[in-house]
Order: sequence, then structure tokens, then C-alpha cells
Amino acid sequence: MRLRATAGAGRAGRDASSWMVLSVCASGLLLVFLGLPFVSLLLRASPSQLLEHLTHPTVLSALRLSLVTAASSTLLTVVFGTPLAWLLATREFRGKRVIETLVDLPMVLPPTVAGFALLLAFGRMGLAGRALDAVGIHLPFTTLGVVAAQLFMSVPFYVSPARAGFAAVDRRYLDAAATLGASETFRFTRVVLPLARPALIAGIAMATARALGEFGATIMFAGNLPGTTQTMPLAVYVAMNSDLDTAIVLAILLLVMSFTLLLGLRASPSTFLWNRGRAASPAS
Amino acid sequence: MLQVQLRKRLGAFELEASFEAALPGTLVLVGESGSGKSTLLKLLAGLQEPDAGFIRLDGTAAVDVASGAWQPARLRRIGYVAQDYALFPHLRVRDNVAFGLRATGVLRYEVAARVERTLGRLGLAALASRWPHELSGGQQQRVALARALVIEPRLLLLDEPLAALDQRTRREVRRELRVLMSELPCLTILVTHSPADAVALGEQIVVLEGGRITQAGSRQDMLQRPRTPYVAEFLGTNLFAARVVPGAVGAPVRLDVDGAELAVADGAEVGDVMAVVDPRDITLSRERPSGSAQNVLPGAVIELTPEPPSGDRVRVALATRPPLVAEITHAAAERLGLAPGVPVFASFKATGVRVFR
Repeated sequence: MRLRATAGAGRAGRDASSWMVLSVCASGLLLVFLGLPFVSLLLRASPSQLLEHLTHPTVLSALRLSLVTAASSTLLTVVFGTPLAWLLATREFRGKRVIETLVDLPMVLPPTVAGFALLLAFGRMGLAGRALDAVGIHLPFTTLGVVAAQLFMSVPFYVSPARAGFAAVDRRYLDAAATLGASETFRFTRVVLPLARPALIAGIAMATARALGEFGATIMFAGNLPGTTQTMPLAVYVAMNSDLDTAIVLAILLLVMSFTLLLGLRASPSTFLWNRGRAASPAS
Repeated sequence: MLQVQLRKRLGAFELEASFEAALPGTLVLVGESGSGKSTLLKLLAGLQEPDAGFIRLDGTAAVDVASGAWQPARLRRIGYVAQDYALFPHLRVRDNVAFGLRATGVLRYEVAARVERTLGRLGLAALASRWPHELSGGQQQRVALARALVIEPRLLLLDEPLAALDQRTRREVRRELRVLMSELPCLTILVTHSPADAVALGEQIVVLEGGRITQAGSRQDMLQRPRTPYVAEFLGTNLFAARVVPGAVGAPVRLDVDGAELAVADGAEVGDVMAVVDPRDITLSRERPSGSAQNVLPGAVIELTPEPPSGDRVRVALATRPPLVAEITHAAAERLGLAPGVPVFASFKATGVRVFR
């Protein structure tokens, strides 16, 4: 493999040769470790086998359920997370640090702990569970519960980039819009949202990927009921013990979906036409 | 009528300014960076709140701290063009210009008509479908102007409109701006750190130094009676609105300044120009000089002002045609026996007259 230094190319780059060798070796080992499981997964499945098991009822129902719940939880994340991200990006208030930490918490919290806590809050005997029960909404061990678990776990993956995107919108554009008579709502929808769009799309992709991969919180809070709460990660777990081929197909599907989402994410920001001109705008 | 009396503290810096200006017209705020001119503009636009004072436009208060009156920026109908124009990068030229009309709920067919009219007026019709990053600096500025003007503002604020442009474009845009501002039915307040731009563009000039207004008045007043070293240093120059008149072939180009004629070296085209004569390029003598200077103007001394800060130079205001200010050393003034009323000859070379359009 030939490596090109991004900075200090040429003679200056050669000075650090021992460090360079070390970096390449370390990186290579790590990448093999990361890549090997995926390669072995892909090697295990022949195309014909893949196609055959793709239509397996377990696979189909898990796939449908995963897509529906991930789409729903992402939608909810965007609807409620966008205003939160905007407030965090633009306003200072007491307790902001605590709120920021709360939003970030699901990123590091073990999902099983999250699922357990969700159960205590929204379970039959939980704080909010009884109130929801009274209006006929049941979260634990329902598809709605799957959505709730995914929402809980994926919020920070959308709110963080969205917040950074909002904070990066240059004050000058908002000032210009204000002097042109734009209300705060108009400024948000016509200036802030379009300018933050790359960040928002990144957040949506991350949140969707997280929701698709959700396992721990889902199994704790929503259980593992085929057709109702058994999403693809859960189905992989179950199938691994009984039907290895199905497990492989499901795993490959998940792998391809996540990989596509993340790869698309890396490609997306530059696809916005006006984005290319940002660097060309006059320096202040 | 615009009446302004404001106080605003920003850390250790305090801006305190009061001035009035008639509508329509052109007022130039000139000062070095850090003098508070951009802050003053933001206060006028409603992008910042003053600590004390008021802004009244035709009698109604845009802000009055004493009475608690406050109009947010979006209700003031004050056009504001930021230093780097702040064109929306995600909107094409046409949509940038339409922004203010759409924001205020103007009907769709009217938006289109007004946008086209404004684009046409500023010579931007051919660029309507371009993105901001596809435009040159001068074009971006015209789009920003169009965007501000389409809402028919009562007040147009221009923050350093020439600063982001290269020398060549700058001269062109300066001329365009002067023509445009003279046609506008609103008051234009232009901020600049460039005294040359200030005298070229402003009928009324307000000088800001360290957050205080140190001088305010007409261009003529500023040129002849600079009150602080800063004003003297930068504005204390002879500036005339003039006309290049055709002369005989081979003869020097003549400049008509209010009926008086000056010889110029530049091969300027016939038409309206601004002419500048540096006070330090003017020589004074009691007798008609016999030297090579092509411009010799007789006139009496009006007043002598020691030129700060060093005080070794003197500014001499002269009743010549056109009226001139010369700057000479103290020693020279004494040798000539200069005093108000003393008749002298002011002479300067044709190359001493700088002409710009």
C-alpha cells in the first residue's frame, strides 16, 4: 500500500519514518481486527443461500419491523430533537450543562440499563406507565415500546450534530434576515434549516443507524416477540442458536444497511451545490 | 429626519454618539477600526440594544430607553448591508433579493415584479439565476444592495461597502454608489475607515474617534476646518466637484471648478469628476511665482490654524477660487508674514491635482 502524507509531503515526511512505520503497522492491525469479522460474515454466505433465506418469514418480519420502528423513532427524534438542538445551540440558561449531559447519556449508558430504567418508568407499575395505561397506551412488550427504546438510545446521535450545525450558522445571515423583516420562525425555516442541512442529514443518518442496531434496551423493555418486537438484531441473536443461515442473512442485511448509511453520510455534505461556494465567499 | 442619541458600553469600550440627519441624503460615518462605527450601525439597524438614548425616524422612536420603546430589527424597515454582504449562500441571486419581500408576506406576483425591477436597476438582470459564490466581489455587493433596497427602506445602512473590494473594482463601485445614493429617496448612512471614500461619498460627514463623535458637518466644513489631528490627517485635503473640459490639442487638460479653471496632468475623459489637491502640495508666495507651477491662484488668507499634533505646521485657509487650504511650515508662514487678510498666491503643479470619477 502506498501512503501519501497530507502535510509535509516529500523530504520532510521521510524524517519521521520510524513513527510512520509504527503508525502503519498499528493502523493495519486495528483495521484487520475491525474488518475480519465482516469479511468472515460475507464469506459464509453464498449468493443463492442469501436469496433463499431473504424470503424466510423470520427474516421478512424482522426486516419489516426494523424498518418501520427505525423510521418511526428517527421521525420522532427529528420532530422533538430539532427544537431541543436549536435551543441548546442558541440559548444560555440555568441547568444547561445538566440537560446536555442528560441528552448525551444514552451514548455511553449500557443499553440494558436504559431498557431497565425505561421499564421502571413506563412499565405497568412505573411512574408514567400507569398514566399512559389510563389513556390506553401500552409501551412495554409492544411495537410502540420498540420505538420508545430506539428513540431513547438514538436521541444524542441526532441532537449532537444538529446542535453543532445550528451553532455553526453564521450570525451575519440571521442579522441580514432580521433587517429584511424576517420573523424568528421565517429565519429558522428559510435560513437556519437550509444552512444546517448537511449537519441535520448527518444526524438523521446516525440516529437511523443507531435505531436499526438497537438491541439491549429493546430486549429489556419490549421483549423478543416475533412479528411484534423482534427486530433484526434480536432475530440474529435468536437465529444464531437455531438457524445459522438465517442469522447470517440477517447479519449481512444489517451490515449492508449500516455501512450504506455511514458511507452516504460521508459523501453527502459536498453534494449541496451552494456548499462548494462557502470557501469562496469573501473573508471578513 | 433621523435623530440619534445613543450610549452603549461593550466591555471597556463606550460608544456615545448623537447626531441628526435629514431625509433623504447621504451621511458618512468615518473612523478608524475600533472607533465604534459598526456598533453604531448595528444599534441603528436594531441588531443591538443601546444602554441609553433613542433613535427617532421621522418622529417615531425605533428605540427609546427612557420610555421603553423598542422596535426589533425586522419592524424597522432599515436596509442593512454588512461589510462582507452576508448573501445567503443557499439562495440564488433572485431569491436573495426576494427574501425581504417573502419574509413580509408580499404577494407572489408583486414579489416577482419588484425583484425584477430592482435587479434591472442595479444591472443584475443577467445574474438572477447565479449562486452568490459565482459572483465577483463587486457583483455580490450590488446583490446585497438590491436585497436591501427592494424592501424600500427608510434608512439604508452600508457597513464598509468598499472594504472587501480590490482597488480597481473599488473605484468603479465608488462611482456607482455615489450615483445610486444621490437617486435614493431614503437616507443613506455609510460607514468607512477610508477618508477618501468619506469625502467622495458624503455630503454630511460624522467623524468617530474612540467611541465619540469628534466632528460632524458638511464635507466642505470638514475639509477646511478639521478639528482633530485625525480629521486633519485624513480629511484635511482640498476636494472639488469638477468637470473636465476639452482643451486645445497638446495643451494641458483643463478642469472647471465652479467657473474657475485648473490645469491637470491626467488625460481624463471629458465629464464630471472629483479633484483632490493635497494641502502640502501647495506653495504660498507674496509675489506671483515665476516657476513651473501651472496653477497660480491669487487670494487672501482667511485664517491660520496650527496643525496638530506636532504644531510645526500651519493650515492656511485661502479665499481663492476655488477656495483652498494649504499646509506649510511655521517658519514659512512667519517668513511670509501670513495673517488673515494678507493677499498671497497659491501655486501647485498640474500633477498635484488628482482626478477621480
